[in-house]
Amino acid sequence: MTIDQLLVYFFGACALLGGVLMLVARHPMRVALALISCMLSLAGIYAMLGVHVVAVFQVLIYVGAVMVFMVYVIMLLDVRDPSFVRRYGRMLVPGVVLGALLAGALGVSAIRLGAPAIQPGTGAAPSYLVQPFSVEFLREYWLHFELTSVLLVAAVVAAIAIIKSGRRSDG
Amino acid sequence: MNLLTVIVLLPLAGFLLNGLLGARLGRTFVSAVGCGLPILAFLATIKAVLSLQSAGPDAALLEVAYRWASFGDQGFDVAFYFDRLTAVMTLIITGVGSLIHVYSTGYMKDDPSYARYFAYLNLFLFFMLTLVLGRSLLVCFVGWEGVGLASYLLIGFWFEDPAKAAAGKKAFITNRVGDAGFLLGLFLLYWALGTVNMDEINAAFAAPIAPAVSASLVGVLLFIGATGKSAQIPLHVWLPDAMAGPTPVSALIHAATMVTAGVYLVARLHGIYEHAPEASQVVAVIGVLTAFFAATIALVQTDIKKVLAYSTVSQLGLMFLALGVGAYGVAVFHVYTHAFFKACLFLGAGSVIHALGGEQDIRKMGGLWRKIPITFGTFAVATAAIAGIPPLAGFFSKDEILWFALASEHGGSPILWVLGSAASLMTSFYMFRLLWLTFLTPSRMSHDTEHHVHESPFSMTGVLIVLAVLSAIGGFFKLPRFLEPLLPMPAVMESLEHYEHTLVLVAVAVAFLGLAAATFMYRGGLARGEALAARFPRLHRFLDGKYYIDELYETVLYRPLHWISDRVFLGLGDRLLIDGSLHGLAALTRRASGRLSRVETGQLQWYVAMAVIGVVGCLVWVWRHG
Amino acid sequence: MADTQLLLGLSFALFALGLVGVMVRRNALVMLMCMELMLNAVILALVTFSLETATLSGAVLVFLIFVVAAAEIAIAIPIVLQLSRQRSSLDVEGYDRLKG
Repeated sequence: MTIDQLLVYFFGACALLGGVLMLVARHPMRVALALISCMLSLAGIYAMLGVHVVAVFQVLIYVGAVMVFMVYVIMLLDVRDPSFVRRYGRMLVPGVVLGALLAGALGVSAIRLGAPAIQPGTGAAPSYLVQPFSVEFLREYWLHFELTSVLLVAAVVAAIAIIKSGRRSDG
Repeated sequence: MNLLTVIVLLPLAGFLLNGLLGARLGRTFVSAVGCGLPILAFLATIKAVLSLQSAGPDAALLEVAYRWASFGDQGFDVAFYFDRLTAVMTLIITGVGSLIHVYSTGYMKDDPSYARYFAYLNLFLFFMLTLVLGRSLLVCFVGWEGVGLASYLLIGFWFEDPAKAAAGKKAFITNRVGDAGFLLGLFLLYWALGTVNMDEINAAFAAPIAPAVSASLVGVLLFIGATGKSAQIPLHVWLPDAMAGPTPVSALIHAATMVTAGVYLVARLHGIYEHAPEASQVVAVIGVLTAFFAATIALVQTDIKKVLAYSTVSQLGLMFLALGVGAYGVAVFHVYTHAFFKACLFLGAGSVIHALGGEQDIRKMGGLWRKIPITFGTFAVATAAIAGIPPLAGFFSKDEILWFALASEHGGSPILWVLGSAASLMTSFYMFRLLWLTFLTPSRMSHDTEHHVHESPFSMTGVLIVLAVLSAIGGFFKLPRFLEPLLPMPAVMESLEHYEHTLVLVAVAVAFLGLAAATFMYRGGLARGEALAARFPRLHRFLDGKYYIDELYETVLYRPLHWISDRVFLGLGDRLLIDGSLHGLAALTRRASGRLSRVETGQLQWYVAMAVIGVVGCLVWVWRHG
Repeated sequence: MADTQLLLGLSFALFALGLVGVMVRRNALVMLMCMELMLNAVILALVTFSLETATLSGAVLVFLIFVVAAAEIAIAIPIVLQLSRQRSSLDVEGYDRLKG
């Protein structure tokens, strides 16, 4: 049992704990913090696995942009409303049951599936350091990259449209 | 040349022209078409008779109009058949029919539905001609049903009065009950013999090998149909009610022609009845019972047309008596004479009613012989004819019927003769009663009516004169002899052979006895008759109530049927089962859709749960099939 | 390389937790965050597979998921804001205008 493995287990446990806390906490801010901790643990796992690029961007984008935005919105809104008093809706029991079922089904599927389609081996293992990864990324997948920028433009336009219509109906 | 088809189609053309265009083109057009076409048909019939005569005594003209239905190499044709029997019937139908059409131009002059009347009357002629000219029982049945329809339309001619419309319905429905028997007989005949042509049917029964069906059974079934059409017991109830129609209609349909269709049917299918002694017995017994029974009712009737209606039922009974003892030609002879004097009587009654401005109760008549002499004269002649006073027509035909009732080897018996003679005695009595009370007694009319009385126009009186003359001299044409090649006279029992002349004298005596009794009772008016009725109040009431047969039918037949229709078929079947299942289906759909729409809760988390269930399902499916 | 099965199991567990959270929690923002958790679980699985098969395509897809997640959150938050303004609350049980 090397220290690497131990650390992976540790971070995994943290991630799980964070996930559970998300479900249990009452105040949305605590939920957000639990999520952040979960994400950071996952980033740790990626780092331990050697996928540095993904770990860095996980922290930068996911925690740094998405979760900050979420925290900002939580601070903006009044969270002491009926959903604060009663955390869980009427789908509590069915939800838990279905979640367990899904997890079980996924597990069984994974066990049944066996070896992955693509076999490792030929050629060198790819490097997940930033520079080699980026070169490889933009060589093979430049089109996907450009399309994501289109997606981002669409998102911006949509956000503006929503806010504008909201403002008009407020007026 | 398709002469027979022309004869049949001429009145149909009249129906179409008057029915479609009559209301627009005025009375003259309607009268011209309505009377002219039957007269043309009469002339065409004469031509057919002449060509028949030149062909021999038992020849027949046959025309196939068109093929009605084919199946395989068999089929049903619409064919017309003209032998001596058909000739007699057709001449009566077109001849007396034309006269009645002419009479109607006078009688119905002021009626607003003039065109409709003539259209229906022509329609009736068309169907009646189809009936007698048809070669097959199917074509005959078409005519049979058609005259029932025309009768319904004409009885209920003034349908705004619900009682008159109900009378039309009663006639049609009672006819239909009889038709069930007709159809069953028809089906049996076709099943056993493979043909519905009447000449072939007669030949099959006369053949050495008897057909596979009992002649008596078929005979009785067909007679049931005749019972309905010719108003014999137990289906006689419609004829008195049918007097609700215009009087010329009563004369044509319910005296001269339609009601004789049953007699024609049995006479035409004599081949069956000759070999069916049981069926013939049934025919004779019912005939004579009807004759007796209807005559007893006619004794107490006070409506001029009702007396004549019951008289018609009674005379038809005598015709069936003749048929039942095998004297088919004699029955047709009586049809022929009866057509003349009964039409004359009915039209005379119509003339009286027309003169009195609508009064039909004989208790309110009297003293008319001076005021409407032509009507009186013709009525008197016809009354004498029906009573059987020689040498008028009725005497000849009735005398022959009674002779064969006693002496025929094909079922004659003294009882039949006694009942038949009793019926004749009563006939003479009530007919002279009618004559006395209507015309000859001192007047019991109201003052206004008396001033109103006037003789009818020539269109009406002219016809009356013609019919009276025919009633007088018609008997001299020996019709049974004329029909003998087709309808042989039955053999006479040897022991009774020399009683023939005695019986003639008895018949004459009976007729004069009736005349004398009526004169005695009613010469002074109603007094003696009412005294007699007061002495036997219950009998009088029983007869006046027509033996309460209508009430019996109402209780036994109508009420249970009505109850079943209402409770079982309407309540249970229609409302509960059919409507219930439809409403139930609709309600089921609505409830199911209501329940199903609960899936749309509008709540996001519910939809997510549904999606997860789907995902799990897909995963499980992949395990099984992937 | 660390236990693939362990990592996959972790991924499935986090995914299931996120799903349960979406179905169970009443606050709209918390629901969104649980959806983010699901995405993260998927990213973990992708990374695992990428390492397993020694190709880059898994990691590339992860990048695309980052972009999509960002775009999604940029739109989802305003929507939730509008919703909450209409109902004056973040309680998703109240958002049932589409009830049939």
